[in-house]
Amino acid sequence: MSEASKAAACAPDPAGATPRSVMHAMPEMPGGDPQPLAAQAASLPGPDIPPLGPGHARPRSPPPPAPEDEEDDDDAEMEEDDEDDDPKALLQAAEEGRAPPAPGAAQAGPPPPAPAQLVQKAHELMWYVLVKDQQRMVLWFPDMVKDVIGSYKKWCRSILRRTSLILARVFGLHLRLASLHTMEFSLVKALEPEELDRVALGNRMPMTGLLLMILSLIYVKGRGARESAVWNVLRILGLRPWKKHTTFADVRRLITEEFVQQNYLKYQRVPYVEPPEYEFFWGPRANREITKLQIMEFLARVFKKDPQAWPSRYREALEEARALREAQPSAHCPRSSVSED
Amino acid sequence: MQSSSRRMGVMTDVHRRFLQLLMTHGVMEEREVAHLQKHCYKVHDSSATADKLEDFINNINSVLESLYIEIKKGITEDDGRPIYALVNLATTPVSKMASDYAENELDLFRKALELIIDSESGFASSTNILNLVDQLKGKRMRKKEAEQVLQKFVQNKWLIEKEGEFTLHGRAILEMEQYIRGMYPDSVKTCNICHGLLIQGQSCETCGIRMHLPCVAKYFQANPEPHCPHCNDYWPHEIPEVFDPEKEGEPTISRPHRKSLRSRQH
Repeated sequence: MSEASKAAACAPDPAGATPRSVMHAMPEMPGGDPQPLAAQAASLPGPDIPPLGPGHARPRSPPPPAPEDEEDDDDAEMEEDDEDDDPKALLQAAEEGRAPPAPGAAQAGPPPPAPAQLVQKAHELMWYVLVKDQQRMVLWFPDMVKDVIGSYKKWCRSILRRTSLILARVFGLHLRLASLHTMEFSLVKALEPEELDRVALGNRMPMTGLLLMILSLIYVKGRGARESAVWNVLRILGLRPWKKHTTFADVRRLITEEFVQQNYLKYQRVPYVEPPEYEFFWGPRANREITKLQIMEFLARVFKKDPQAWPSRYREALEEARALREAQPSAHCPRSSVSED
Repeated sequence: MQSSSRRMGVMTDVHRRFLQLLMTHGVMEEREVAHLQKHCYKVHDSSATADKLEDFINNINSVLESLYIEIKKGITEDDGRPIYALVNLATTPVSKMASDYAENELDLFRKALELIIDSESGFASSTNILNLVDQLKGKRMRKKEAEQVLQKFVQNKWLIEKEGEFTLHGRAILEMEQYIRGMYPDSVKTCNICHGLLIQGQSCETCGIRMHLPCVAKYFQANPEPHCPHCNDYWPHEIPEVFDPEKEGEPTISRPHRKSLRSRQH
């Protein structure tokens, strides 16, 4: 492939630049993937159906037969007794662009797998990330390694990078390391303007409406909302803790367990109160994904009032919006088209 | 340069947003999809005239081709509504679900799937599924847990429940058709008209051929004396109406099971 297209494939996506972006820290790729995306995908043999693993998206090992002349295929099988790389070290290395920590023994490891296999892994990881996000589940790096990357651990850097590239170009989504400490990734929209599309689509996703109700209540109160207060509000919608709902099923479980697991809410016991009472707070994910201004817009729509009807909250929301605008680096120009590499 | 000159479509932010939202919803009806397309144009490129939906989707699919994913169009088996879902062609769908479910939950789904495929009506009763709970791989599951897992499948649009019986959601059929045909080649049923996978449908009592309800509706439309296309015997079943998007109020794929999600008191 031509040098120009090589460079195009390796250049970091300009739309993706944030300090925490995994891609941003990646330097020029070493030998591993010399060919641009499309060319490699074209050289892939037909999709292999892997045997059904017992409940895991098993990594394909040994790797499927490569298309043409790569005789190193057999050597590409990793010995399974490769020591378990500490996932945190792996991730840290990927973040900083270093080579991952080598096992104590043979430094001259097996040769890298065929580029086509890395591309395949990147596609698997892309789908994995999309499905997890669709289910509102946390993207945990050790899970990604266990479920998808598997024996290609050593090349997780290049796999991650390719996946991020595809996600950005095709879906306009950024795979960002949300926290090195917890090793969580998040999938964030890169497109402007950022609005709650689900709400814009007319509440096709009732869960979001329910969540927003609770978040708004907490926000308006200015502190945690007692569970009793939350149920008072939900009662207006016809939801009761003991009744199963047609759409939400077990509402109580949804708000005290699922939303909490997804980090949208925090559910904590109120200290020093007997009999025990619990209250809700915004979860870290809500803080990241939802702005105060969006809450104000939601409230305005639901109660058919002007956001100024909640003056101090509205002011806070404007403050936050201003702070967010100032914190943004100069606005990126979204790529308007992708041509063949 | 590449020898295979595949025409790759052009992805703009309109298409990207569309893909994001389609993925978020998992599966959408055609009317919602058209609405979504308009929304994406409005947000990103209000001056442009929207492509015809079919061209719009084909354009996106040409880009997705190299990633082995596709926006697939299907029809709901019970009332013939066109639906769209983003599906992964490369991996087996059950292993796709694998990242969300535990081993015993996946096995429960497989068991339910087998019962559904083997059944005459395309439905498996809750009782029959729950009776298999002891045979599940992985951690032991109680029947009560299994009921909840089944509800999870319904919520995530893998199964539909109707009066205590379960069948496959349109989305599951879209995603798993190839897998099912490959896994159960002997028990799988197909429609005599469209030759697609058939879970629910009508069958001729004489010669046994089957047809999807929407296929029946179209085939026998305005025919006062329907006869089996294969053996010409009188077709004994009620002919359903052809799905008319104009006559609809709020399109919702959850309509079949909204009334019948069992409400249980704890």
